[in-house]
Amino acid sequence: MSASIALLGQPNSGKSTIFNNLTGARQHVGNWAGKTVEKNEGSFTYKGTKYIVTDLPGSYGLSGNSDEEIITTDFIKSGQSELTVVLVDASQLERSMFMLAEFARLDKPALLVLNMMDVAKGMGKEIDTKALEEKLGIPVLPFNATDTKDYDRLKELIAEELKKPHKLAVAAPESSINVKTDSRLKFEWVSGLLENVTKTQGAVYKMSKFDRLMTRPVLGKIICIAVVLLAFLVSMIVMLPFAGVGQMIPTLLHDPVDKLLTDRNVHPWIVNIFSMMIPNTLSFTISMASFVLGVNIVFGFLEETGFIARAAYQFDGLLSKLGLQGKAICPMLMGFGCTIGGACGTRVMDNWGQRMLAMSIVWAIPCASIWSIIPVVSGMFFTWWQTMLVCVGILAYVVVTIMIVSKVFGRKLAPAETRSGMIMELPPYHKAHWKHIFKEAALKAWDIFRRALGTVTLVSLLFYVLSFSSDGNVNNSLLYRVGTVIEPVTSFFGMGWQTFVAFLSGAFAKEAVLGTLNAVFMGGNSVMEAAFFSQGTSTDTALLGTAMSQAVSGAEALAFMFATTFSVPCLMALSTTYKESHSLKWTVKVALFYICNALVLSCIVYHIASLFM
Amino acid sequence: MKLTESKTDMQGRILSVSGDDHFLNRITSIGITEGTAFQTVRNDRKMPVLIYLRETLISLNRADAERIEVETA
Repeated sequence: MSASIALLGQPNSGKSTIFNNLTGARQHVGNWAGKTVEKNEGSFTYKGTKYIVTDLPGSYGLSGNSDEEIITTDFIKSGQSELTVVLVDASQLERSMFMLAEFARLDKPALLVLNMMDVAKGMGKEIDTKALEEKLGIPVLPFNATDTKDYDRLKELIAEELKKPHKLAVAAPESSINVKTDSRLKFEWVSGLLENVTKTQGAVYKMSKFDRLMTRPVLGKIICIAVVLLAFLVSMIVMLPFAGVGQMIPTLLHDPVDKLLTDRNVHPWIVNIFSMMIPNTLSFTISMASFVLGVNIVFGFLEETGFIARAAYQFDGLLSKLGLQGKAICPMLMGFGCTIGGACGTRVMDNWGQRMLAMSIVWAIPCASIWSIIPVVSGMFFTWWQTMLVCVGILAYVVVTIMIVSKVFGRKLAPAETRSGMIMELPPYHKAHWKHIFKEAALKAWDIFRRALGTVTLVSLLFYVLSFSSDGNVNNSLLYRVGTVIEPVTSFFGMGWQTFVAFLSGAFAKEAVLGTLNAVFMGGNSVMEAAFFSQGTSTDTALLGTAMSQAVSGAEALAFMFATTFSVPCLMALSTTYKESHSLKWTVKVALFYICNALVLSCIVYHIASLFM
Repeated sequence: MKLTESKTDMQGRILSVSGDDHFLNRITSIGITEGTAFQTVRNDRKMPVLIYLRETLISLNRADAERIEVETA
């Protein structure tokens, strides 16, 4: 037996917390057919009945013509769900009851949940829920999204209502084609209902001390940047123990597996798959998932406390020029640390198109790994001040890429009518509910791990096939053969086969770039070992520098550095983006854009630099 | 006066909002309707305007705030 219900509520009404706590891990995320709006579905079982829960997209009303509002209205009208659970924020009762006024016109069975009763009580606000229930004719449940007992009561009530559903007994507010009149009528309807139910205090609002700091024009921005940097550090700390264990896998497995299989005369091609590729892939994915865990904990905390909304207030002016909400500042800053962190940090944004656009912009931001490679490579060819110039040049082009990306993809992902400025609430600071944050972060990290493992293994295998050589010499690998065949093409873009192979390995993992250069110029190790950072891949940069500067011109080195920085991020970041966006089409589209961008850029840099060098 | 011209801590009332239906929909659904009492919480140059209205702290970018006429209560 199964039944279907829907959750309806404004942003910040605690809808996602309730959805997550009701359904736990039994969730399915996708997109509404033909729309760039995320569809969250989940289920729970109560007393032998399975309940399918649809989390309707958050919006402030239902009369507008945004995709979210149209989807929500159509879904409720269709009757696909037998009961709509309408959530309102008890601490901002009058304003959030607007959603019920919108819903009333649809005339469908419902129950009302007054969320955040604890906050309302803390404010000294009293609400007579019984009186409200009598006026409305549907059940009204006082609720506290963090109290587990309240969920049992909610489930029980849902089960009861499905047997004997109630529709609103009170007449829906009159409607008018004039938007202003229409809204006024709805608020009058709400005021009428709340008469004798609660009193709205008209006290003077005083900002908290912290908010007074956070909203200062300059200081507030500095605090935001500092907090996000700190958030990155904390995420790294969360990752370390897991990643440490993960890295033990290849170390522990390599020798025994290698010995076991080699003793049985298994072909080295197969041996390396089991002794090197699979353990390392597993280790990468563990590192990635544990970093995602860290980012989700930190961002969950920042979002729940209300920090993200303050950051959005600070940076909205700047980011709206790119078609983004101010909230995007947090994942973007995170991107300087790690693109994976940036991609999964976009979860704080409440609109799919905006999220996808933010992820594609985060790709343009060079991560810490890139910043660790560029000065080394540059130092092999240029003096220290020239290296500084290279870094400044890269930073300048980051801005250019961001502007191009927002122009190219912004029109589709953030259409003009969705970006007309920010109107948003700054929710009061809440205490963080750690249990909920940890639970949600763990679910998310596990989900990413489970789903990314397949993608990552597949691409690793491809790279393995390309880079394998029986004697460790690069010249015997497929990569060499392909590289040398297409060299006439790549050299037009400014890269010889060696630098091109290193460029390709950067799409696999940025850390692999130096090892690959070492492999192709020195024959010190195989490209395969470099890519999987296997044992014995220490790179002597001084020797490599001498070898490289003899084989490669300064112009080519410059072209290579720009190409590596502005190409697609590493495989892990790519698959995180795919998992976060649920859209293969968009991930591929953006990836193709970045590859073309890198090649064109490399071509331009090479040919211009050749004139001077 | 326009909302962008209001002083910090001013207690006021929304006189009128103007714009296309899309804008009106967004602004009224969050609670900014004509006649509603509000308080200007922060109004710095080049920053969004912060107002307190219907028990909610709301941030409006300056271009949008330009389209809202207010009076002191």
